[in-house]
Amino acid sequence: MPSTPEVRRAVVIEDDPDIRGLLVRILVKQGFEVTQAEAGLPGVEEVRRARPDLVTLDLNLPDLDGLEVCKLLRQFSDAFIVMLTARTDELDKLTGLDNGADDYLSKPFSPRELQSRVNALFRRRQAPAADPAALSELERATEVQQSLLPKEDVRVEGYDLAGVFRPSRSVGGDFYDWYRTPDGLHLTFADAMGKGMGAALIAATIRAVMRSTGHRRDLDAAFASAALTIAADLDSSNSFATLFHARLDAASGVVNYVDAGHGLALHVTAAGSVHRLPSGGPPVGAWAGSAWPQSAIGLAPGDALVVVSDGVLDVFESVEAFTAAVYSATHGRASAQSASDAIMALAPAETAEDDVTVVVVRRLPQDAAA
Amino acid sequence: MEFSYEVKDSYAEVKADGRLNMVSAPKLREFVTDVIAGGSSRIVVNLENTAFMDSSGLGALIGCLKAARQAGGDLRIAAVQPQVKMVLELTSMDRVLNAYASADEAFGND
Repeated sequence: MPSTPEVRRAVVIEDDPDIRGLLVRILVKQGFEVTQAEAGLPGVEEVRRARPDLVTLDLNLPDLDGLEVCKLLRQFSDAFIVMLTARTDELDKLTGLDNGADDYLSKPFSPRELQSRVNALFRRRQAPAADPAALSELERATEVQQSLLPKEDVRVEGYDLAGVFRPSRSVGGDFYDWYRTPDGLHLTFADAMGKGMGAALIAATIRAVMRSTGHRRDLDAAFASAALTIAADLDSSNSFATLFHARLDAASGVVNYVDAGHGLALHVTAAGSVHRLPSGGPPVGAWAGSAWPQSAIGLAPGDALVVVSDGVLDVFESVEAFTAAVYSATHGRASAQSASDAIMALAPAETAEDDVTVVVVRRLPQDAAA
Repeated sequence: MEFSYEVKDSYAEVKADGRLNMVSAPKLREFVTDVIAGGSSRIVVNLENTAFMDSSGLGALIGCLKAARQAGGDLRIAAVQPQVKMVLELTSMDRVLNAYASADEAFGND
């Protein structure tokens, strides 16, 4: 190794965009200059070009088997290779073989676990550590948090959706995520305890885990297994997260949901009533053995499901006052966006200490939907 | 936030005065852990003068409860003020952290 300090480079080869994004950010945080590839062959080319010090390699890639890729890389690269697999049963077999990889990690992994594995590898080599870019921790945390918000424009026929997020000066762990399903929409709204990079990275893990369970039709089973995975991650950091997860059946307007310690989702009806959906159990990771029974509401035409973060609640004296104010801001609005904007205005940026996040799912009135 | 404690007949009373937030939460955790390490695992946290608690504060109470149970005791909270009560109810943590009207009553029946 040359004695002058140099930038450490890493290549992430991973097909799942969420996991890839998380890996990139963890490594950037550790001071790596990171490039990425979403399949095996482009990955090999990227390693040839970038000449990295570290490669993370998913075992199940769309084109080549991860082990094949590893063999190809070993023909020309002496980078540390960390293999990732979602199948823990494969792990024992792999570690016993000389595949050319330096370490193995099972998915889901915690950011901390990856960091410590990588550090251990590099301690062996004693490479000079690069100064992690010029960004402050806060700026990086903001970046992670922004990256969690849904980018694609999601449309569900007969509905009007809006989500607004405003980070505070001291970045918190808020995020929301939604995506289309054959029946309608999945929505996740979470707030990880604490602030800064730690909270933002926990939020990133939660998002990835919740997305990975989306295909399971049984909501109770899907949530229970996701909660176990998330709780295992949170346990090491003495943290927890409130989590609201809902599945909309667009045709019927039925919303099945699970609320783990959030308690700030409201059903605002066209007829002029408001009903707060109480949480079904403690936050995820807060208390071992918790269970979260699912509940359901029906969205009639003109009704709205409103989910708000506690940054808005903090402005009010009581939950009742909060509920009444959100109702007034939502009821009778012409669009989900105007309702979200009105709710955001309840917690002015100058006074709000916490992140403020608002999601509105509004079923269009019959005349408008027709 | 200021902490103090007093060992009573059957429990130790910890007072936490001020705002229980991201700054003071680790200090409460440390303070209560010290009390437990000192031999008192039956703890009442008197929240009479805790006007505000955020999620980090809630995390500290949960951590202290785990520590007390780990040591064979328990942790109970007393004289909970409206904002703290609201946070406990919203998060359903009132099912785990039992609240009593006063420190005296917290271990009254044990």
